Amino acid sequence: MSEKITFTLNDVSTTVDVEPETLLIDVLREDLNLTGTKRGCDNSTCGTCTVVVNGKAIKSCNTPVSKVAGTEVITIEGLAKGMELHPIQKSISESGAVQCGFCTPGIIMELYGLLENNPDITLAEMQNALNKHLCRCTGYEPIRDGALMAQKLMQDRK
Amino acid sequence: MEYKYVGKNYNRPDAISKVTGKAIYLDDIRLPGMLHTAILRPEYAHAKILSIDTASAEKMPGVVKVVTGKGCHYHYGDNIRDLVPMAVEKVRYIGEPVAAVVADTLAHAEAAMQTIKVEYEPLPVYVDARDAMKPGAALIHEENGQYWHLPTLTPTPGTNIANTYRLVKGKGADGMKDAEVILEGEFLFPHGSCSAIEPHGSIVWFKEDKTIEAWSSSICPFIIREDLATSYGVPVSDVRVHIPDVGGCFGYKSDITVEQTVAWIASFVPGRPVKWVATRQEDYTSTLLGHGIRTIMKIGAKKDGKLVAIQATILHSGGAYADTPVNVTMAATHNCTGPYEFEHCDLTGYTVYTNTPAVGAFRGYGHQESQLATERMMDMLARKLKMDPWELREKNFLGEGKVNALGEKMWKTHGDIYKCAEIVKKKVYGKAKHAEDENFYYGRGFAAVMKSPKGAPFSTKGCYMKMNIDGSVSVVMAGAEVGQGLRTVIRQVAGEALKIPPEKVRVYTEIDTQFSPYEWQTIGSMFTTQGGRAIIRAADKLIAILKATAAQVLKTDVDYLEYDGEFIYLCNDPDIRVAIKDINRGYITDDGITIGDMAQAVSDARLPRYSNPDKNGQGSCGVSYTFGVQAAEIRIEKKTGKIFVDKFTSVFDVGQVINPKQIRGSVMGGVLMSIGAALYEKVDYDENGKITNPHFFKYHLPTYKEAPEMDVEFVETPDAIGPFGARGIGEHSVIGPAPAILNAIYDATGVDFFEIPVTPEIMKKALENQGQVTK
Repeated sequence: MSEKITFTLNDVSTTVDVEPETLLIDVLREDLNLTGTKRGCDNSTCGTCTVVVNGKAIKSCNTPVSKVAGTEVITIEGLAKGMELHPIQKSISESGAVQCGFCTPGIIMELYGLLENNPDITLAEMQNALNKHLCRCTGYEPIRDGALMAQKLMQDRK
Repeated sequence: MEYKYVGKNYNRPDAISKVTGKAIYLDDIRLPGMLHTAILRPEYAHAKILSIDTASAEKMPGVVKVVTGKGCHYHYGDNIRDLVPMAVEKVRYIGEPVAAVVADTLAHAEAAMQTIKVEYEPLPVYVDARDAMKPGAALIHEENGQYWHLPTLTPTPGTNIANTYRLVKGKGADGMKDAEVILEGEFLFPHGSCSAIEPHGSIVWFKEDKTIEAWSSSICPFIIREDLATSYGVPVSDVRVHIPDVGGCFGYKSDITVEQTVAWIASFVPGRPVKWVATRQEDYTSTLLGHGIRTIMKIGAKKDGKLVAIQATILHSGGAYADTPVNVTMAATHNCTGPYEFEHCDLTGYTVYTNTPAVGAFRGYGHQESQLATERMMDMLARKLKMDPWELREKNFLGEGKVNALGEKMWKTHGDIYKCAEIVKKKVYGKAKHAEDENFYYGRGFAAVMKSPKGAPFSTKGCYMKMNIDGSVSVVMAGAEVGQGLRTVIRQVAGEALKIPPEKVRVYTEIDTQFSPYEWQTIGSMFTTQGGRAIIRAADKLIAILKATAAQVLKTDVDYLEYDGEFIYLCNDPDIRVAIKDINRGYITDDGITIGDMAQAVSDARLPRYSNPDKNGQGSCGVSYTFGVQAAEIRIEKKTGKIFVDKFTSVFDVGQVINPKQIRGSVMGGVLMSIGAALYEKVDYDENGKITNPHFFKYHLPTYKEAPEMDVEFVETPDAIGPFGARGIGEHSVIGPAPAILNAIYDATGVDFFEIPVTPEIMKKALENQGQVTK
């Protein structure tokens, strides 16, 4: 039985009428047409479906939509303010971290969850977070560089 | 050399759309009336299909059509036409399409697909070429030898050998008699998966006007177009193929893979687009795999280290269909000599049908598989000769004037491998080796490598360039952007060639065979070389058009005119000039009469004199070469056998760096990919041919913490073909890591490995057998 589930999505109150066990990724992609959140695997391993719920990065491919009722959900589409990129987007786009770009939204949302919460996280914390994401293109170094650039920008912003 | 735009860092034009989530990949495409399909895969890797019962599936909610292979009479393929879009009478591998359900939603399609019942009669299963080649082995293709194939291929009817390629140079095997020292070895590079983070997917739409429109996560739209046109009997021009952003390729989205299957399914629901996207499991079991190459090698040398002869047999477990592996086998065979000259070669490559997914391109295309053997053998030979392994290699490098196995002579413009070796030696061996401690063994190893593209006679790349009214330029090509960064290359090369800032060059964002110029497929690390050449050709034509118009305006001869990007001016009096913006649509005279042509040009570029192999298996089959040397510094944990690559160094002679940031990223990605192959990655089968690890949590891709510190450097000896002296580098970095790591393992522990991956369990067991570990 479908039911109405309401949450804030990228600052906008949103109600969907779906089976409550539908996965968040499917609601985002199929019902709400937000295709920036990607699916790369079947078993919650690759991390590219990561979104931020109540300030915390989670995998949308293993989260039933019922779990986000009443929460604030942010997806990759919610980061830029008009033409202005979020510092993480800016840094990741300039550090060489983007090749094919398929892992990129998940990594940006992971960093968003971390750095918006605390821009002064340690390198070890950042590395633990990045270790949850698979990238087949870059060898990870440019992703780390982008993450560090973003951290600097966000520290300076405060 | 110093250029204005080439050799500088520019950000990728597609980075913004990718960081904002707006880039459109295949699965992001929505079309009106689009249907979804789920594909049934068999329970056996080799079996006759006795019956398929689709009755209950047809009655399930949302189902529009249930499709089987019944009535499919066509085969397809570009090298050997042995492929079928859906199994007809038998299944040959565990991921083969057996039936499909088309429904309004994917969930409905999947639910109905589960209810299809199939009866099979199992047949013997072979996952290794050695078993499939045995006399009396069951035939995977009874029709072997009867399929259409390229005239250069030689299948052996009545066996599972789809092709035998033989190369003989000099005295061939007899050359071994000239050797004073002989070394033999057998090496295995097992099946792996390219494992792009974006899985394969396609949409195909048979339209009422008898045209076909398709979208695919592929790098070969023009091959898809021609294949579908042939299979469905429509003019090639009536098939339109789009390529959106592609989330990584690494080889396995080249050649036609899943498109024909989706087309077969969609052909049953004309008028409606049908979408299929692989699950990760299907990406492993039902698309192309890589490698599966066993190399049996014998090298003969003089006592002073001069190499004289090489004999090699490449046994390629090519999978259930040979169309895609056959060229990989050939590349593995003629490139197994590595970056060395052998006067005598006898090399044989067998492409063998096995009951596994078909092997296709994997970044490196045969080179890393057989050069794993060469580079291990060079270290082992140096040991046998009591020679320094650097000295042995340097003595035999394919330097200027040397001749490779194919018979191609090397020139200075092919690059300087000696210089690469010198730099790596200094960087990695110019310091003392880390001493063994309580917890770790330490080792370092290196490999010298070579790669050429595997082309085809018609493998050209087209370029359409038009100058706009404001002097900005639009460039349309058909190179698939899979992450490698070719759009930046285009901007920089076009900017340099046209003497305008790269910011004024707008590059196409998708490929559409209706508008894009022809390109064979974006493979073989050839885009920079050939595509760059095509850009320069187009730019030259465009400038010639501008000059022809300017000659009329300035009332002089074309050869007295110079072009600087903004103006065309008289060589002896630059004040006499006309602005480009005033002539790029032709020149409008005061009375409104327009003279001269539009500033737009079309071009294409192939590798010069690329040829088929001759009767000796030789020929101009490589043409373009990039050489390099790579080294690993590793640490092996005594307690667990776990291998840590602490630092990895790569030096390649790329002719000319186009974009320093991008080329470094490309090399680092390739290195990590092959560290994965060396230490973790292998497609595993059970005795029935079922893949037991078709998921990321079982098929382990290297993660952030497993990436070593990278040292990447480039030598720049200008190439003769590529733009501004640049040569290909997209794949080359994957070749050295496995042999370098295995050589480093020997250096650390004295254990020789002949196959990969070397997992902690394997390493630990080897150490225990050696009695080096005290428990």
